[in-house]
Amino acid sequence: MKRTISILLVCFMLVALLAGCGSEPASSTPTPGQTSSAPNESQAPETTPEPEIVDGRFTKTRSITVEIYDRSNDGGSPPEDNFYTDFIKEGMLRDHNVEVTFVPVGRWTEVEEINNLLAAGDAPDVCVTYSYPTIQTYANMGGVLDMAPYLEEYKDLLPNLYELLTERNLFWNKDPEKGTVWAIEALLFNNARISTFVREDWLKKLNLPEPTTLEEFENMLRAFKDNAQLLLGSEASQMIPFSISYDIGWRADHLLSAFVPNDMTDKEAYIHGFDDRHILYPGIKEGVRVLNKWYNEGLIWQDFNLYGAGDNTEDNLMKAGYVGSFIHNWDYPYRNGEEGIHANMQKLVGPDAAFIAVNCFKNDAGLYRKFLANPIDRKVFFPSTNDEPLASLLYLDWISKLENRRFLQIGEEGVTHEVMPDGAIKLLSATGDKIMNSPNNIDYTITINGLDLGNAELNAKSLALGYAGVDARFIEKAWPLSKQDGRIIPQFNVGEVKSEEGMGPALADKRDNFLVQAVSCPPDQFDAVFDAGYQDYLNSGGQAIIDERTVKFAEYYE
Amino acid sequence: MLGLSRQQSTKCLLPQRQNMMSKGDTTVKTVTLSSSPGRGKKAVAYLKRYWTLYLLLLLPITYFVIFKYVPMQYIQIAFKKYSIVQNVWEMPWADNNGFEYFIKAFENKDFLNALRNTIMLNFLDLLCGFPAPIILALLLTELPFPRYKRVTQTIAYMPHFLSWIIIAGLAKQLFAPTTGLVNNFLGKLGVDPVPFLNEPIWWVVTYIALGIWQSVGWNTIIYLAAIAGINPELYEAASMDGAGRLRKMWHITLPGIRSTIVVLLILSLGRILGSEFDRPYALGNHMVNNVSNVIAIFVYKYGIQGLQFSLATAVGLFQSVVCVIFLFAANALAKRFGERGVW
Repeated sequence: MKRTISILLVCFMLVALLAGCGSEPASSTPTPGQTSSAPNESQAPETTPEPEIVDGRFTKTRSITVEIYDRSNDGGSPPEDNFYTDFIKEGMLRDHNVEVTFVPVGRWTEVEEINNLLAAGDAPDVCVTYSYPTIQTYANMGGVLDMAPYLEEYKDLLPNLYELLTERNLFWNKDPEKGTVWAIEALLFNNARISTFVREDWLKKLNLPEPTTLEEFENMLRAFKDNAQLLLGSEASQMIPFSISYDIGWRADHLLSAFVPNDMTDKEAYIHGFDDRHILYPGIKEGVRVLNKWYNEGLIWQDFNLYGAGDNTEDNLMKAGYVGSFIHNWDYPYRNGEEGIHANMQKLVGPDAAFIAVNCFKNDAGLYRKFLANPIDRKVFFPSTNDEPLASLLYLDWISKLENRRFLQIGEEGVTHEVMPDGAIKLLSATGDKIMNSPNNIDYTITINGLDLGNAELNAKSLALGYAGVDARFIEKAWPLSKQDGRIIPQFNVGEVKSEEGMGPALADKRDNFLVQAVSCPPDQFDAVFDAGYQDYLNSGGQAIIDERTVKFAEYYE
Repeated sequence: MLGLSRQQSTKCLLPQRQNMMSKGDTTVKTVTLSSSPGRGKKAVAYLKRYWTLYLLLLLPITYFVIFKYVPMQYIQIAFKKYSIVQNVWEMPWADNNGFEYFIKAFENKDFLNALRNTIMLNFLDLLCGFPAPIILALLLTELPFPRYKRVTQTIAYMPHFLSWIIIAGLAKQLFAPTTGLVNNFLGKLGVDPVPFLNEPIWWVVTYIALGIWQSVGWNTIIYLAAIAGINPELYEAASMDGAGRLRKMWHITLPGIRSTIVVLLILSLGRILGSEFDRPYALGNHMVNNVSNVIAIFVYKYGIQGLQFSLATAVGLFQSVVCVIFLFAANALAKRFGERGVW
């Protein structure tokens, strides 16, 4: 009996397996087949019949799908179906006769989700991501449509897109050899990046002026520590003169940038510029040494090295008023209204408690040097399954039109904003269907990041009013200071650098490891720890990137 | 269940016996041969009688085929250049006869480091974590008050239901060098703070200890069940012979649960290269990464985040193959020592 059963079982399994394997490829082959043939058709737009389009309007209704980030925020509306999506849908149907359907994709898992959608051939026609390496990887696999021919061919139909992004952002990623454009770059309208913050009320209590040099900043930290009893009373043991996180490169940016020689050339900066925290720039090590000294003197939060990304322990320490200074995103303490650091400090500590932005780290030329970002933001790309490239481009054009994006950014008057006597716009928080799921509806205006009302003066005034419950003077101070003496390393477009592929996360992790270890080790071990970590970073792919960038730079720019 | 009458069941047993006898016995073989035209018939008759049972089996088998066997075709990704738009059968083979990604992995320092850490942490886990539930089970069975025993057991297995994310959060609250409860207490006693979480050796100790704390109670259940199955007469007889508690433990309880211990040990050895993700990932931090990075974290960083799917699949395949080898070896070894093994 055993034998019969086993024979039967084996037969059954074989049949089932064959059925499984047989049907699987058969059913899935058409999809790759379609996708691989699509670029061929599309790479030569002139072979496709002339689109039936009159005055920018299709004669027959077209339909496209568009990715939209889903932040699943409390009290938010469905990101794919709300007041603002209706506004876009109606407008697109009216102006271009294109039907738009939104496809929600989790904001924090976007890369993984887009990955799945692309593999299944279901990716939205208009995709958006922050990660260019991801797009490059997909493009190498043949999963992305080359936008260059369409951008050229339909230039006249896309006046708003060209006006907002300009040729610079549209062709930012153009391959210098093949001329392909896998993705266009959204405009980073506001490139303020990082600020240094100190407790304004503590300075007053201790009769200290705002620090303007590294030395003054250091003395201020010591003063905070020595006067913990006065500043924090019974909670004196909680005193944290300077707080930092595992992300040293970001959270000490101003300090580290000040140690980079002023005469570093753009070429040097490019070659050593793979890491977005600039860890390979010359001079950084001495900056980290300062942090190591502070840590060992007890001026830095001693437990910072235990906490990873997304942990809000440090935020809570700031909210409780234990933190004297820190470096972070240029508007960090003022964000999030009632839930934010500023509002909580005012509640828990007192109405005077506030962080104020300062500049105190000068480089060897006496400048408050900081490295600012190029005017690029999110990357918009079309997967190769997109068979409506023109309708998709018209969509991008439509949301780039000042009138349309202005409405998306500020919403309805009296509901999501009010107009001040001087014309500035003050944002109000709305609930219900008209709630904005992201600040200034950034998720819908995928071609621009930053409030733009079409008038520089109004923009500046409105920006300062954009933080509910925060005195405008804090914003007005932080904003220019975070850009003072900023340097932007120009883009060097050398096409794809092969050794960078897939290395981003692994190298970033190595960087964070050795920086954290170098900051928290005893001073006499600092050199050993830093050098070993730095060498490991280079050996694990860092050096290969430097070498390839050197070669490519010489090839295209020398 | 099938409502077979006795008559029917004897009928079905008969040809079966003939069949079994046919093995190697020539005289009977002729008998079977003469009735061989009935062989197909027998199978038909057999199926006719038992088809409902096979129908029942169909569902689990379908499950295994669809969710366990069909996906195995994607093992190929380890030997191929992954492409998002191509079918797995159409992807081009990787260089070096398809072994490109295995070579790449073994040339990668991080992978070797992850391999070392995986083996080290799992081995320590086995060394310290495996005997712990046996000891606890022995202690619990010796407790004279049943109620106290039950309460202790329940409390001991509670942590099993906590996710590692929560345990890691608790650990940070308790063991942080300056703000942690434990170190604050030590500080009051005049002891220097212990770097439970931010110094590699201490971290490993904490990691293993938390692992035991989390799983010891739960793993005790199976031993307690095995102990409950030991014939009480043996204990009575031993008492008559004057055996004390420890003697009884050593000569009756432990031999009584030996086969359970062996089966669990084999299964544990099968996991020696397997790696959890959430436990080392949640407990790890940037100070101890060179001991806390295990294979699962390597796969996540390079494969999922770095989009190197072929590399990640190759590493995963290597891991599975080694686990299977360990499983077979442990099983064979157990059989050599006279145990039943897992199969």
